[in-house]
Amino acid sequence: MAPVAPRSGDAIFANVERVNAELFTLTYGAIVRQLLTDLEEVEEVNKQLDQMGYNIGIRLIDEFLAKSNVSRCVDFKETAEVIAKVGFKMFLGVTASVTNWDADGTCCSIVLEDNPLVDFVELPDTCQGLYYCNILSGVIRGALEMVSMKTEVTWLRDMLRGDDAFELQVKLLKQVPEEYPYKDDE
Amino acid sequence: MIGVGKIKQYSNVLDKPLSKGKQEVSLSAFAFLFSELVQYNQTQVDNISELERRLEDAGYAVGARVLELLCHRDKGNRRETRLLGILSFVHSTVWKVLFGKVADSLEKGTEHEDEYMISEKELLVNRFISIPKDMGTFNCGAFVAGIVRGVLDGAGFPAVVTAHFVPVEGQQRPRTTILIKFAEEVLRREARLG
Amino acid sequence: MQFFGSSDISPSPTVPTASGNNAHMMYVFNRNGVCLLYREWNRPLRTLDAQQDQKLMFGLLFSLKSLTAKMDPTTAEKGNLGVPQLPGQGCSFHSFRTNTYKLSFMETPSGIKLILVTHPRTGDLREPLKYIYNLYVEYVAKNPLYTPGTPIRCELFNTSLDQYVRSIA
Repeated sequence: MAPVAPRSGDAIFANVERVNAELFTLTYGAIVRQLLTDLEEVEEVNKQLDQMGYNIGIRLIDEFLAKSNVSRCVDFKETAEVIAKVGFKMFLGVTASVTNWDADGTCCSIVLEDNPLVDFVELPDTCQGLYYCNILSGVIRGALEMVSMKTEVTWLRDMLRGDDAFELQVKLLKQVPEEYPYKDDE
Repeated sequence: MIGVGKIKQYSNVLDKPLSKGKQEVSLSAFAFLFSELVQYNQTQVDNISELERRLEDAGYAVGARVLELLCHRDKGNRRETRLLGILSFVHSTVWKVLFGKVADSLEKGTEHEDEYMISEKELLVNRFISIPKDMGTFNCGAFVAGIVRGVLDGAGFPAVVTAHFVPVEGQQRPRTTILIKFAEEVLRREARLG
Repeated sequence: MQFFGSSDISPSPTVPTASGNNAHMMYVFNRNGVCLLYREWNRPLRTLDAQQDQKLMFGLLFSLKSLTAKMDPTTAEKGNLGVPQLPGQGCSFHSFRTNTYKLSFMETPSGIKLILVTHPRTGDLREPLKYIYNLYVEYVAKNPLYTPGTPIRCELFNTSLDQYVRSIA
């Protein structure tokens, strides 16, 4: 029996339960605020946001797989398209696009124009080094790691810093196929 | 280059038009985010009441902003001055915006004059969570209690707000009650206003 | 590995009564071989201790996956036996049946392996396994009080699973 084709982002988003984006935005703001109070250093906050994103990514991947019917994660190009078109849509209700592929097909950019994390937000002068949406880079990194792709995710453009869009660079470092996990000779 | 010329650039976030509040994200996205909020705070505390307090504080900031947003957008900058008015605002308007529905019930406490209760059969933030036995009475609804406190405080009705699980006959999961205990000054003012 | 022929030689076990659960047991593993869940409803014979039993089950499936991919007559490109595979690479088996039980298997690209052992006359359980994966997502993956990679101790998940399995068997 041929594998079921992955579902479209719009179809999934229409079928999942949704909440007001403002609750989401404000809750995220509360998290960033808590971190800034607890950690004080902007670099530390960036790291913590990335770590939180990673923690989310390793769980979110299962929901993504369960709802989207994706069964293969072998080709990085295919994977990046699926993240942008299906992933972002089904969770954040926005579509992203994939651009800037390098010659090997191991590095690309995911571009977001709409970002529900940043409504109402303006970075004050004291937080200029903050990557406010750094949770997103962690989510992508965590999710990809669970499907055997080790990646490096960095921000190229950030609207809160004056750029015209949000652009994340996703670089595939290596694919780690499944090994027999038990070390002894059972 | 992607993006250039497509979006109107606002030099100041205050110039951007306020959204109508209709945009949505998936419930999962919120659930995962909230889950991280809880987990992060678990690493910062030693006991359950500290954890609840931190969640409440996080919710307080959300509440204060929700009040501003809703007063401006939905109420034309009118201000509630009566107790029942603000309670109704929280139970209906605030709940509708945040959770997509009005709260299940709003009741006056029977034992104390200054207590009111907003109940929800299954509070959004508690839906995916089963509290392990060793966490006792911990309730993630503390976040919502914080939101309510933020709204009430910002509107001039200071109160102590807490979240409790209340077992219900015939239901497997207990319902959540947000208990609001208004400060003395609020009741005095209310009495003066007649 | 369906057993053809009559059941005179090795009679199949009596069909469980309607009140009992038709399923025998369930395992959930992650990519690292950690047994996240072992649920037993109806297992008269137990030969190994729990840990060994789980390791054996995991090892069996790991080898079966490798073997079935290697024996695939439809693809030209095949790695050597035992070469690790990427998610979705190669073919994937989903069940085997003996005269006394049927084992149904589902693996997600994130490495979660669901195994359900039932009565041999059970039909195709691919859709039910997908539903169980959805239950896992709802009650386990989304539970902030659960740490991924550790055994599952979520009451809600256990009860929903029990209820669902009872309804499909």
